[in-house]
This record gives sequence, C-alpha cells and structure tokens, in this order.
Amino acid sequence: MQTTAVATTKEIMATVLARDLNDGEWVEVGANLPVPRAGVLLAHLLWGANMKVMIAMTKANVFNEPVIEEFQLITDHRATRWAEAYYIHNDLVENMKFRHKGVFFAGALQIDQYGNSNLIGIGKDYKALKFRGPGAIGVCNATVMNSRFHLVVNAHDKRIFVPKCDFVSALGWGSGGADARTKLGLPGGGPRYVVTPLCVMDFEDNTKRMRLKSLHPGVKVDDVVQNTGFELVIPASVPVTEAPTAEQLHVMRTRIDVGGALR
Amino acid sequence: MTEPANTQTLQRKKLIIELDDALAKVQDGMTIGIGGFINSSHPMMVVRGLIKRGVKNLTVVGSASSGLEIDLLIAAGCAAKVVAPYVGGEVLAPIGPAFRTAVEKGKVEVFELDEAMFYAALRAAAQRVPFNPWRSGVGTSFPDINPAIKVFKDPINGETLLAIPAINLDIAFLHAAVSDAYGNVQYVGHGYGDRAIYAAADLTFVQVEQIVSNEEIRRDPLKTAIPGADGVIRARFGAHPYSSPGHYIEDQEHIKQYVRAATAWAKENDFAPLKAYLDDFVMGPADHAAYLERVGIRRLLSLNEY
Repeated sequence: MQTTAVATTKEIMATVLARDLNDGEWVEVGANLPVPRAGVLLAHLLWGANMKVMIAMTKANVFNEPVIEEFQLITDHRATRWAEAYYIHNDLVENMKFRHKGVFFAGALQIDQYGNSNLIGIGKDYKALKFRGPGAIGVCNATVMNSRFHLVVNAHDKRIFVPKCDFVSALGWGSGGADARTKLGLPGGGPRYVVTPLCVMDFEDNTKRMRLKSLHPGVKVDDVVQNTGFELVIPASVPVTEAPTAEQLHVMRTRIDVGGALR
Repeated sequence: MTEPANTQTLQRKKLIIELDDALAKVQDGMTIGIGGFINSSHPMMVVRGLIKRGVKNLTVVGSASSGLEIDLLIAAGCAAKVVAPYVGGEVLAPIGPAFRTAVEKGKVEVFELDEAMFYAALRAAAQRVPFNPWRSGVGTSFPDINPAIKVFKDPINGETLLAIPAINLDIAFLHAAVSDAYGNVQYVGHGYGDRAIYAAADLTFVQVEQIVSNEEIRRDPLKTAIPGADGVIRARFGAHPYSSPGHYIEDQEHIKQYVRAATAWAKENDFAPLKAYLDDFVMGPADHAAYLERVGIRRLLSLNEY
C-alpha cells in the first residue's frame, strides 16, 4: 500500500465527491468527466456496494472488476459489456421517480453566488452572443430531479465565478434563501458543493450564499477571494480539504484511474 | 362487399428503398430529425446526401445530444434552425465549431432547450397534443430566451410548470444495425433516443448496416425498436465517421480532420479548409460507395471494437 504517496488536486477533488455519496444512491458516470467518475467509483468500491452506477447509458455492474477500464467517449459501445440494463435515453430522461435517490455532477461556463449556472453562452444579448456555449444538455433537468448536485469545474477564476450569470440553464438557489427552490415547486436538494482546483465551497444554511468550506493543500483564502467575482462567505477558520486515505488513493490508482487522468 | 379475386397474388410490400428515394421526400424548409448520439449512430449517408442535394432552410432536430453531423449540416448551409440541447463531439470538439460560429454570427437560430424539454416536445408530437408539461426549467432563462416555451399554471393543482410545445418532424432519418425488408428495425445496444424521434415523425427512413430475414427479426421481437419504418436503406459503414454499435468504432482521425476544417472557419473566418472537406467527402464522391473508397478500405477495416 502506497502510504507515502501524495494525492494530486484532482484526486482530492474526486475524494471530496466520493465522501458525499452514500450506499444505495443512483449516480451517473459521464464520459470525459474524470474527477466525478473517479469519485463515484471510489464510493462504489469502498462503501457503496449497493450504489446504482450508470456508465454509457447502462446500469453497470463493475463492482468486482479488478480494473475499471476508462472510455473516452460516452458513446463507446464497449462499455455496455457491464450492462445489467440499458437506459434507453428517452426513458432515462422522462422517468423521474427514481431520481430522488440520484446525485448529479454539473459543469458550467458561469456560476453565481447562489450556485445558479450557465451552459448556454456568454453575452448580455441572447440574439448576439459573444460566445456560444455547448448547450444545456441534460443539466437543467438533472439538477432539479436528483436529490442534490455538485458543481465541478476545472478552473477557478472570475470568468467562471461571476456576480450574475448571463443566462441560467441550471437553477441553484435563485436569488437566495432556503426556500428559493421550494417556492418554485422544485423538488431536489439543489447544489450542495462547488468543487474547484482551489477549494470546496458550500452554501450558507439560511441565505444560501456560497461559502468557503475547505482549501486544498497549499491554497490560501486570498487565492480564492482574488479569483472569485463575488463576495464569498468566509468562516473564521477554514480547514484544509481532507486528502484521500492511503487505501482510497491505492484503490483510485490501481482500479479506477490506472490511466492516470487525475495525475 | 365481394372478396378480392386475386388473394393468391397479394404480397406484403417490401420497404427496401434507395437513398435517392428517401432524399426525394425532403423539401426546403422541412423539419427533419437526425438520430444517433454525439459520436455514434448518425445517418451520415443521408446527411451527406442532403448536403449534396443542396437542401436549404431546414429546421434540423438533432438527437438529445447531437454530434458534429449537425455541425456539418450547418457548415454546408442546409440548416436555418437547430433544435438540440447540445451540439458537439465531447473531447473531439467540446462545442461544434460551425454551430458555435454560425450561432454567434446569427446565421442559425437555436431552439433553446434541455434534454428533458427535447423529449417532452417530441412526446407532445407523438401524442398529438400541442404541448407536454414539464417541471424542470421553472426559474431558469429558458422561457425568456425561447419564447415558444410558456410558463403556465396547471389546471389540476395550480402549480407553475413549463409548456413545451410539440415538435413534429416531417421526416426522421435514423441509423441502426439491422432491419428486415418490412421496416422492423433492431439495434445493437440501446438505440439512444431514436425511438422518441421516430414517434414524433410523419415519415421515418432508417439506414442500416444490413438487411436481415424476417425470421432473424422474429428471434427476438422485443429488440425491434422501430416497428414501422417507412423505408429502409442499405448502408454498410453508413454512420462513418461515427460509430455503429456492434459494427465499428468512430473514426477519430476523420472526425479530427473535420474539426480542424470547421475550426478554421470558426476561428479565422477561413472557409477554404471546410470547402475542401466538403468537396473531398461530400460533393465529390458520386455515391456512398465512392465515399467509402475515398475514406479507404484499410481505414474502414481498422475501426474494430475488439
């Protein structure tokens, strides 16, 4: 066991996501999202034998796989060899009952202080976008119907963390307040964590303003403040993000991320 | 009513058609569905055929996550409007380059929606109702930037919901593994969202890797995902450069070649590489066989799954 190995930032980010997942929950492992993928599989292998893991639009049985092969594209048919069931895509997106046990991971072009996020594009005028984004994909719906979601981004800067999103494609806590979602009739627990290469953030209980939760090793409060385009809630003392244990790191490197996408 | 005299000669009609028979149904301005998912299972033989015919002003309804087949239709000037929650190629092109630049320049209109709204719209068409209600999206920008999506109070419980308008497809084009001669289409794998696209369409044409016997289809009727294609078209390697589950993986080298050409247009406003791509692989080859020859048999035979 590699007791002396030091975890990378991405491995720490994956571990943060893993620790939030509980046995029995339903999670999607998207393609080309190596950090959430590793987090999900880490939880599944170490304390979530009854988690339902979706890979390449299948309910996948990878629990006893010695090494879980990575696929670059979500459409890679070879990943369907683990399937216990197929999620026919329109059924997956139309049948929402099971999602109350679901957890979702979303990226974004922009995120505001209440965790509202944007994948549509950048620009004040929708008819004349400065930058056309990829589109909302399934994120608008998945961030409502699952029990909670985490925003995961691979950069932390003022282009992403903005005072106000130009467009909101996935609702966070609206304009703030713990009832921001329920008063719109929306189920789901909303955004819980925002995980970046610098830190983990969550949302203050009453205001639902974004709050610094922990700093990755070596990162200072000011690094986060200087790279965030709105005022964060900063507690008096901010802990260092808990690194993976030696066992977690070993499982990650030998069964989940043999290819080293997180290193 | 007298019985027909010629019962002995009654024949079930075979639905195997030629590509041109299907393309001839497409008129400028139609709403066309294109099946598949990101880097897999797009009816590329048909897409190249549409471009070659110079079809214009299409409303192109991609799959829930569309790939660069929609980008290609935009680059070739066939699409006036795109209905798709995503257009891109994952790591190969996170955002479709032609999609991005055409939208930024105002050359293509986007019907903005997410995957759940996309299926709600198709389902409304399939159910012959004007809209389907949906909850997710309340409180977001969607009803503001897409005025076709209406916020309404539901008449049962008085909840605030979105009305997603029906999107009826004049024609759906799909790619699948096999069909029999009677339009019973089966996939290898799950077939993505193709069933929903089929259900929303007035006409559905499916290009397939292989036509098989009706007996082969009847070995597993539950696998028949599209039981009523209006025509099926022989299309070995017809999804190239995208994958066809059970048959071949995507041709990443070819997709990257397209992405480079489209990116030159997007980033440098230089259309020449895209024109060269279109000349080489779309306008130039006389037919699908000539396209495959242009790609090359060694390349095609290298795209093995295992």
